[in-house]
Amino acid sequence: MKLPTNRPAWLTLERLAKLPAKLAGRLPRFPDEIRLPIPEPVRKSMPVFMRTTTFKLAMLYSLMIAAFSGALLAYLYYSTVYYIRVESERRITVEFEQLANAYYTGGMQRLSQSVFERMTLSGSPFYYYLEDTSGRKIAGHFPRLPDDPPESGMKTVYFDFELPQTDGTKVLRPAAGRIVRLKDNGGALMVAFDTAQQTVIVDRIQSAILVAAPVALILSLLGGVLITRGAARRAEELAKTAEAVIGGELSRRVPVRGTGDEFDRLAQRINAMLDQIGKLVEASQNTGNAIAHDLRSPLTRLRNRLELALASPMTEQDASNTLGETVEEVDRVLDTFNAILRLARLDAGTEGLRVRMDLSEVAEELAELFDPACEEAGLTFRSQIARNQLVLGDRELIGQAISNLIDNAIKYTPQGGSISLSVTRGADAMIDLTVLDTGPGIPAGDRSKVIERFHRMDSARTQPGSGLGLSLVQSVAELHGGELVLADGNGPPDRPGLRATLRLPRA
Amino acid sequence: MADTLHHRALKVLVIEDDNEMASFIEKVLEDAGHEVECARDGAAGLARARAEDFDALVVDRMLPEKDGLTLIREFRDAGGTTPALFLSALGDVQNKVQGLKAGAEDYLGKPFVPAELAARVEALGRRQTSEPQVTSLKAGDLEMNLLTRKVTRAGKKIDLQPREFRLLEYLMRHAGQVVTRTMLLEKVWDYNFDPQTNVIDVHVSRLRSKIDKEFSEPLLLTVRGAGYRLQG
Repeated sequence: MKLPTNRPAWLTLERLAKLPAKLAGRLPRFPDEIRLPIPEPVRKSMPVFMRTTTFKLAMLYSLMIAAFSGALLAYLYYSTVYYIRVESERRITVEFEQLANAYYTGGMQRLSQSVFERMTLSGSPFYYYLEDTSGRKIAGHFPRLPDDPPESGMKTVYFDFELPQTDGTKVLRPAAGRIVRLKDNGGALMVAFDTAQQTVIVDRIQSAILVAAPVALILSLLGGVLITRGAARRAEELAKTAEAVIGGELSRRVPVRGTGDEFDRLAQRINAMLDQIGKLVEASQNTGNAIAHDLRSPLTRLRNRLELALASPMTEQDASNTLGETVEEVDRVLDTFNAILRLARLDAGTEGLRVRMDLSEVAEELAELFDPACEEAGLTFRSQIARNQLVLGDRELIGQAISNLIDNAIKYTPQGGSISLSVTRGADAMIDLTVLDTGPGIPAGDRSKVIERFHRMDSARTQPGSGLGLSLVQSVAELHGGELVLADGNGPPDRPGLRATLRLPRA
Repeated sequence: MADTLHHRALKVLVIEDDNEMASFIEKVLEDAGHEVECARDGAAGLARARAEDFDALVVDRMLPEKDGLTLIREFRDAGGTTPALFLSALGDVQNKVQGLKAGAEDYLGKPFVPAELAARVEALGRRQTSEPQVTSLKAGDLEMNLLTRKVTRAGKKIDLQPREFRLLEYLMRHAGQVVTRTMLLEKVWDYNFDPQTNVIDVHVSRLRSKIDKEFSEPLLLTVRGAGYRLQG
């Protein structure tokens, strides 16, 4: 469509485009561009497996197991060695006591006799050595003392000695013993205990530990990997889902195992978040469609009217009328625009409060607000409102929904008709708020269409309003976990009237 | 529209960055008989609001340098008492709540009807002068006792429903000023949406029939294209 060429010079296209804004205000500004941060791929300096939590957790796990088993083995080792030593000390002490007895009762002679006797006992683990004051050997297994006897008292020595075998060879054996300087005599006695057997036990334990420790380490590593792999797999699922969503698959969800563990809870949260994002995306798409659908035609009409006005010469009165109509038309466009925005916000679920409120009270207030207007319109208005019906919701939004239902009833009910508003306790823990009129009603096949966005039945074209009234009621109902149900009223089949019920869950 | 004969002009500071919008607001308020000064960004606006004693502030929310909410918050924190009205394209109930919480007295969504703006600025600017703790209100020969809830005109008792009483109380508190339908729905019924049916008109005309019917001089006037005015 072209502008007529004889338009006044001041009326440029730009000015024409600015007219609605100039006359009625400014529309909200939107950010020019919404940029989503796209994550940079993580820099790969370490091998992939070493960066994974699995690896780190497995390492930590095996370190802990290793430390624990190390401590256990060390305890085992030292307590065994300690026990063996204490035990041999004890036996040496007993042996000394008996020899001391012999010495005190029968002197050196009795003692040497006793030593000889004991040396001949087979299977005894003890070795003896007795020398006189001058250091000469009286009896004993060894050619001489391994160490000097103390000036007085007792001293413990550890030494190796050569044990002659039956075949003539000699074997080096370890022994622990005590040397005592004999009182009143100056001689010395040593009782030693062959520790070879003990050493064997200790060696066994040592080698067992040397074998067991690496095995334990490997096993703990394996266990760590096994245990953490499950968690890693769940994390991987999360990452895969996120990738799919980034790739545009908004319907993808993280699998929930139903075990109720923290991964399940995380998955549920993430899924809820994705649901919400999906809702927002859908709402913004709806808004886009709505703007295209519902604003383009009235704006085109507006433009046509202005062009026509420009093209035809007119009186001041005509011009004033045209401008007045134009302002009205622009107001309607803006109303529609606001309604679309409000619906978008409702759909996104970010609008409204959730407080315990008395639906009966709001209904009473609106009945009181609308009653005179209905009467003025030649309609009978009745209300029957059960008291104290509580819902969780937003008073303002619910008030607006009820107002839309009554507005709608007034709009379509001819003079002499009646409108009734009722609040009753419905089935299934719901509260039913019903607006019933005696208008033409809505044929069953068209009911879903009127609730649907941006549909207006043709007969309604001449009525004021955005045509989004019932859509808004529906959105408010959904936001509160309820529904809007349309049904025939009580009239005759050709004019049944409309029964619109807003069903909200009881608080 | 506004009662320029009975009231002194209000000094209004308009803080609005859009040139066209600013001159539109300026014109509307000047036509209503007020003295208007404009500031083009939040920082400049705040400086002006602090520097001079205005009767009312009209503030856009989305402003360069300093957004409207911050501006009002800072102004109030620094002890500024000038009543303020947000005039914003963010016109939903939630936005209104934000604005009032920030410390503004009133909130009007864009687009707006010029008369609505004029009426609200008028109500805002006169607010300071009206005593809040009065026990009785008077407009011409109409009297309202807020304690006994008795209403008389020229000594004759008038029976009012509770809502009619609140409606009349609001009108009397703003006697001589234009009050719009939206203002009444907001302040008397406490709803912020806009019913398509002219519900308020009928309530006002019922009230009018009670207070004006038997008297030669009408008190409750309809201001065409704007709202109502109770003669002071």
